[in-house]
Amino acid sequence: MSSPEAVKTFHQGTGGWVASQLEACARCGICAEACPFYRVTRKPEFAPVWKIELLRRAYRQEFTLAGRLRTALGLQKKLEDEDLAEWSRIVYEGCSVCNRCAMACPMGIQIGPLIQEVRAGLAAAGAVPEEVASAVRKQIQKGSPLDVTDKLFDERLEWISDEWGVDLPIDEQGADTLVVFSSIELMKFPQNVVDTARILDAAGERWTLSRKGREAINWGIYEGNTEHTKLFLNRVLDAAKELGVKRILVAECGNGYDALRWTAPNLVHMPAGLEVTHIATVVAEYVRSGRIELRAGAADGNGVITFHDACKIQRRGGCIEEPRQILKILAPRSFREMSPNKEAATCCGAGGGVGAIKAADEHRYAVFELKLNQIREIEADTVVMACANCRVQFLDGVAHFNSDLKVRGLSRMIAEALV
Amino acid sequence: MPDSGARNGNPVREETIYEYLQREGVSRRQFIKYCGMVAGAMGLWAAPVLNGSARLLGKPDLTEEVIRALETKPRLPVIWLDIQGCGGCTEAFAGSQSPTLVDLMLDRISIDFHQMLFAAAGSQAETALREATRTYAGKYVLVVEGSIPTGGEGAYCAVAGRSAVDVVREAAAGAAVIIATGSCSAFGGIARATPDPTEARSVREIVTDKPVVNIPGCPAIPEVTTGTIARYIVFGTLPELDDLGRPKTFYGTTIHDSCLRRPFHDAGKFARSFDDEGARGGWCLYELGCRGPTTYNACATLKWGGGLSFPIQSGHPCIGCSQPDFWDDGGLYQAQSVPLDRPALTTVGMAAGVGALVGAAVAAAGRGRRKRVHEARAESTPEAESTPEPERTGRG
Amino acid sequence: MDWHDFLRFVRGPLFEVSLLVFVAGLAYRLLRVVTLGWTRDRIPPAGSRVVGVVRSYAKGTIVWPFIPWVKDTFRGNAVTYLAGGLFHLGLFAVVLLSTTHVLVWKSLLGFAWPTLPAPIVDLLAAGAIVAMVALLINRFSHPVVRKLTGPAEVLSWLSVFLPMVTGYMTTHQIFFSYQVLFSVHMLAVDVMLIWIPFSPIPHFVFYFFSRTIHGVEFGKRAVSP
Repeated sequence: MSSPEAVKTFHQGTGGWVASQLEACARCGICAEACPFYRVTRKPEFAPVWKIELLRRAYRQEFTLAGRLRTALGLQKKLEDEDLAEWSRIVYEGCSVCNRCAMACPMGIQIGPLIQEVRAGLAAAGAVPEEVASAVRKQIQKGSPLDVTDKLFDERLEWISDEWGVDLPIDEQGADTLVVFSSIELMKFPQNVVDTARILDAAGERWTLSRKGREAINWGIYEGNTEHTKLFLNRVLDAAKELGVKRILVAECGNGYDALRWTAPNLVHMPAGLEVTHIATVVAEYVRSGRIELRAGAADGNGVITFHDACKIQRRGGCIEEPRQILKILAPRSFREMSPNKEAATCCGAGGGVGAIKAADEHRYAVFELKLNQIREIEADTVVMACANCRVQFLDGVAHFNSDLKVRGLSRMIAEALV
Repeated sequence: MPDSGARNGNPVREETIYEYLQREGVSRRQFIKYCGMVAGAMGLWAAPVLNGSARLLGKPDLTEEVIRALETKPRLPVIWLDIQGCGGCTEAFAGSQSPTLVDLMLDRISIDFHQMLFAAAGSQAETALREATRTYAGKYVLVVEGSIPTGGEGAYCAVAGRSAVDVVREAAAGAAVIIATGSCSAFGGIARATPDPTEARSVREIVTDKPVVNIPGCPAIPEVTTGTIARYIVFGTLPELDDLGRPKTFYGTTIHDSCLRRPFHDAGKFARSFDDEGARGGWCLYELGCRGPTTYNACATLKWGGGLSFPIQSGHPCIGCSQPDFWDDGGLYQAQSVPLDRPALTTVGMAAGVGALVGAAVAAAGRGRRKRVHEARAESTPEAESTPEPERTGRG
Repeated sequence: MDWHDFLRFVRGPLFEVSLLVFVAGLAYRLLRVVTLGWTRDRIPPAGSRVVGVVRSYAKGTIVWPFIPWVKDTFRGNAVTYLAGGLFHLGLFAVVLLSTTHVLVWKSLLGFAWPTLPAPIVDLLAAGAIVAMVALLINRFSHPVVRKLTGPAEVLSWLSVFLPMVTGYMTTHQIFFSYQVLFSVHMLAVDVMLIWIPFSPIPHFVFYFFSRTIHGVEFGKRAVSP
C-alpha cells in the first residue's frame, strides 16, 4: 500500500496545533513506558512517538525548507512511496488511542490525538485492517457495526420491554433527554437498557430513545475517517434536533461519549444549546439533587470491589469522580482503588478498535493481563466499569486467564440499589 | 663619562665588564652579588639563595655562567630610538633599579644616544647616531620605543626630511640585536587604536629581515628589557620567543596564573564597583574588566617599582597592555566574558524580521498545499460538509 | 592568525553574526509554525482551561522534574529522567545564574539578576557534563531512544556538549592556556548558536505550545494533567 493519499491527508490535517507539538518532541522516548502496548510487548515500534513518525515526516517534507530542499535534491525518499502496511499494523493493532502517553510526555504533547491524525491518513489510503473496514461498511449501510438495523432495533427493544417489563419510549416528542446506547449494550448486555430505563424513570426524567440515533458507537473514529465520523455523528445529532431534546445522554459507551461530547463540535454543526452527558454523571447529579436515592452499602458484603477507569470516559472524558461518588454510597466498606487509577489508569486493551482485530489478539490479552494483575494486587473480587466495550473485553479476558473475577456494569449496580 | 678605548679607533682589546666594574670601584664580592642579580634579572632560576641547591640537583649553575660571561665580555653599545611614543617606557626604565645594572653592562656612551636623555640636539644628534651605527656596526643593541607611523608616506614622524621608517630600517641594518620595548613598538600601541590615523606599525612590520624581540607592556616592565639584554650578553643568543615574539621567560604565563587575588576568583568573589565591600576586601576584579586571564606578562611576579605593586594589587583591573591591540579589545571595565561585538537592537530586529518573513513564507507554501488538497477533495465528495482548515479528525 | 587575534574574532564579529543567525533562525522556526493556521475549539469545556494550564506548567516544570521516580514511566527511563534533569539543572545554573554569563546577559539585555555562588555553579556544571555523557550513551543503548536518534540528535548533543566542556575547562584552565580554551569555548558557542535554529533544539520554544495545549486539553475535560 503506497501513500499519496495518506500524505495528502497528513498535510491537510497539519496546522499550528499539530505542527507546534511535532516540533516540541525532544525524542526522549519516555512515552513508550506509559503505553501498555509497549510495556507488554517491548516492541520499540509500539512506542507512541514512533506511531506518529509518519505524520512527522510528512510535516518535514512539506512544511519545512530543509525538508523541501532534501526532497528536491533527491536526498530523501518521498513519503508518497512509503509502504504503509507496517505502519497500519502499528497504529491499529498496537494502539487503543488511550492517550496515556500524553500524560507521560515531559513536553505534554497530545500524542493520542496525533495518532488519530495518522489513522486519518492511513484510512485515506485504505490501509486499515479488514475488521475495521468491515465494521465501518456495516455502520454505513445498516446503521450499526453489529447489524442493528431499524428493524432489529425495534424488535430488540420490544423483546427487552416485554421480558423485563419496562417502558422504552422511541422517538417521543417532548422529551428532554435522548438516550443513546451502543449496540453492544443492546445486543450483549440488554440488562443495561433495562437498568438505564429504571434509573431514569426513578428520577422522573423525560427521556426517549431514537431509531435514527440508535447507535452511540462511531466506527468512523476507530477508522480515522472524518467523513464517516461525521456521517455517524449526524445520525444522532439529527435525531436530537428533530426530537427537540435538550441533551443527549450516552449510556455505557466510551467511544460514543468521546465522539459526541468531545469530538462532534469541531466537526459538525451542533444544535444550539444541546448538552452531551454520560450516565455516570447524570446519576451522580440525581443523587446529589435528591432526585433518586440509593441504598447505602447495597453492594457491600460481597468482597472487595474496585473500579476500572475506561480511557474514553475517565481520562479522555473527565467523568472520574462521579462513579466513585456513587460507589462510595453503594459499597463504602468494600471499595478499593487499584493502581494506577483515575486519569492514570491503563487501558483494558480493547479500545480504539483493537478489540475487533483478530491479529491484535495477542497484544490485547497481554494488555489485559497487565490490568488483571493490578486487580489481583489489591485482591479485588469484583471490578465495576461504565463502558460496555471494556466489559466485553473483561469478560473475554477473565475467561481467557481463568480468573474468578466478577465483572459488573455500573448501571446494574445503581439500578439494584434504587430505593 | 668613561671612555671606551675603541672609540678612539685604537685596536685595543676591549675592556671587559668586570674590568670596567673594578675601575668603578666595585669589589669582587659585590661583583658576585651583581652577577646573581643579573641572573635573577634574566628570569633564570639562579637566585643566590638557591645556588647551592642548583648544584645538588645537577642543574647548571647560572650565576657562575654569568660571572664567567661578565669577566670575559665587553660592555655592549646600545642605540635607543624613541619614535611615536610617549616616552613612558624610558620613564619607567629611568625610575627603576635597572639603570644600575644596565650601566654595569652597557656602554654608557652609546646610551647617550637616547633621544630623550640626549643632551645634544639637531644635527649634532644626527651625526652621533650615524657615527654610532657605523662604528659599532654589527655589535650594538638597537632598542626601539614607540610605534612607527607609516601613513602619509612616513611623513608623520620625520627629522630633517628623513622619515622615521627609514631611520629605523637603517639603524636595524647594523644591529646585532633588535628589541622593541613597549607595546607601541611591539604591536603598534595606542597610536594604532581605531581609527589608526597615522597607520602606526610595530618594529616587526618595518624590519622584516631580522629577528626582533618584542617586550610589550604599557609601559614595558624595565626589568624585562634589562633581563633580555643581560641574557644576550651572557649567552650571546636571543631568548626563546612565543608566537608574538615575546620572551617566554617573562611572557610565558598570564597575570591570572600568578595573581594574588586568584583565590577570590576561584571562590567566585568579585568586586562589583571600585569602592564596594569586595573592592575593599581585595576581591577579584573580573567583573570590573580585568584581562588577567588572557594577558601574558610578568606583572604579577616581578611587579613594578622593584616589586612594590602592580595594578591589580593596587585595586585596578589589568588592562591587558602587553597584548596586541588591547585598546580595541572592548571597554577597559568590560568583563572578559562579554562579547566584543554586539548587534544593535535594530539589527536584531531586522534579523528577526527576515527570519519571520521566511518562516511565514514557508508556512504559506504549506497552507497553499493544504488548501489545494482540501479543495480537490471537496470537489470529489460534494456532500462533504465544509470543515474549517486545518481539518480536524479526532483532535480535541 | 595567532590565538589573540582568533580570540578577538570569535568574541567579536563571529559572535555578532552567530547571534543574528540565532535570532533570525528562531524567528523563522516560530513563524513557520505559528502562521500555519489555528482553528477555534468549539468544544464546550467541562472545567477551567486556565487552571489546566497552570497545573500543567506547575507539574511539568516544578514538580515532576525533581521527583521523577514517583512516576511509573521512571522504570526503564531512569537515565533519561535523572541525567536529563541534571543536565537541564546544570545548563540553567551555568547559563542563567553564573557571574560570567550574567555579565553577558547584562551586556545584551541591559539588566542583570542575582547569581549563584561560583562553587555551586561549578558543581552543577560538572554534573551537567557527566549527565550529557550518560545521555549520549543512553541514546545508543535504549531500545526506543535508539530508533529516535539520527545525525541531527548527535550533532545537537555535540553542539551543546562542547561549549559546556570547554567552558568548564576554561574556568579551571585544564590542559591548555586560558586564552586557547576561552577561544575554543567562544567558537563552540558561536557554532552552537548557528546550529540551533536548524536543529531539534528549538523544542525549548515549542515546549510552551505543547505544555499549554496539554493544560487546555486536560483542563477543559476537568482532568488533572
